[in-house]
Amino acid sequence: MFWRKQKAAIAGFPPLHQALIHERGFTATMPADAWTALAASLGRHTALVRRPKWALPRRTLDVLVPLLQEVCSDLGRKGMLTVTADLRGPQAPGKTTPSRDLQVRPPVKSAVETWTIDPWLRLRAELRDGSVLDVLVVDRERTRRVTKRNPRGKTKVKRKTKQVQIIKVRRRLPENGASVRPPTAPPRWITVHVREGRRRSILAGAKIDRMPNSAEEQLDRILTVATEPFRWTPQTTAGGAR
Amino acid sequence: MTPCAVTTGFFTLGKCGTMAVAGCPSCGRALCADHVTEGGLCPECAAANNRFGHPAAVAAYRRRAYRHRSAGVYQDTVWYTGFDSYDRAAFDPGAAASQDYLDDGDDALVDS
Repeated sequence: MFWRKQKAAIAGFPPLHQALIHERGFTATMPADAWTALAASLGRHTALVRRPKWALPRRTLDVLVPLLQEVCSDLGRKGMLTVTADLRGPQAPGKTTPSRDLQVRPPVKSAVETWTIDPWLRLRAELRDGSVLDVLVVDRERTRRVTKRNPRGKTKVKRKTKQVQIIKVRRRLPENGASVRPPTAPPRWITVHVREGRRRSILAGAKIDRMPNSAEEQLDRILTVATEPFRWTPQTTAGGAR
Repeated sequence: MTPCAVTTGFFTLGKCGTMAVAGCPSCGRALCADHVTEGGLCPECAAANNRFGHPAAVAAYRRRAYRHRSAGVYQDTVWYTGFDSYDRAAFDPGAAASQDYLDDGDDALVDS
């Protein structure tokens, strides 16, 4: 019997923790306390499980868990947080679109384009001020495979990839919630739209053509884009007890 | 009842509001049982003194770092001033901050 202690440790983890190990993702709607318990369980993972096959997916401990902790601190007593995390990576089945041929002319013989779309994080939180926060993070990669023939008849193949990360954040304010345009504009790489209606929505988005170099940069990017909708409502710590 | 005056939340700031059981020896704000950290300090004073044994102190440090960074990215000073005077005072040089942040004085060997 191999890995007996580690198997027993995994069996004692919460179901979502086990789903991250075996399925590399989960979808769940829970209150803040349940998410805090999950974060604590994930924090113990490295000490209890050392087999590489059962390691947590990339971005779990350094992006997902800190993000959950920050958002959970904004949930009310009855507020629920829904998280859809798909940390299988961009090569997982179902994330690549069918290839399509591009128009070419000599000396290029063929060019095939493939898109890989990886929506690895989706989050919806009912905040304590009555607003609803939605966050979506998508990694998109375009791959082009170009076949060329030179004048001497030699055939060469080139592959080019272009990666883009898209972060979209929407905050739906409570009914009749006051909001004012912030005193300064956001950075140029963040776009903002305001959708009027019964409940005003503030949408912030960013399309970044460089993938983050570290998990800290990834988390910082998400938090920076998510900041914009909150600048539209007055910030004060004078009241608003939890 | 004196409510706990510790700031909670990350994007939406608010007060804890639970019944206070003690006061921070450094800044004097009222604290509930959940927010008394090492040495009886409030989370902000504990974070300013690099005492991160309590989760609330870690959260206070992360919140402050995030506010400071995002205020710079957005060039929005109003965003950072969403903190109250207690939250900011803990990190002021000479208040409760770590000795590393204090001025060395005129007779210091190195001009830092």
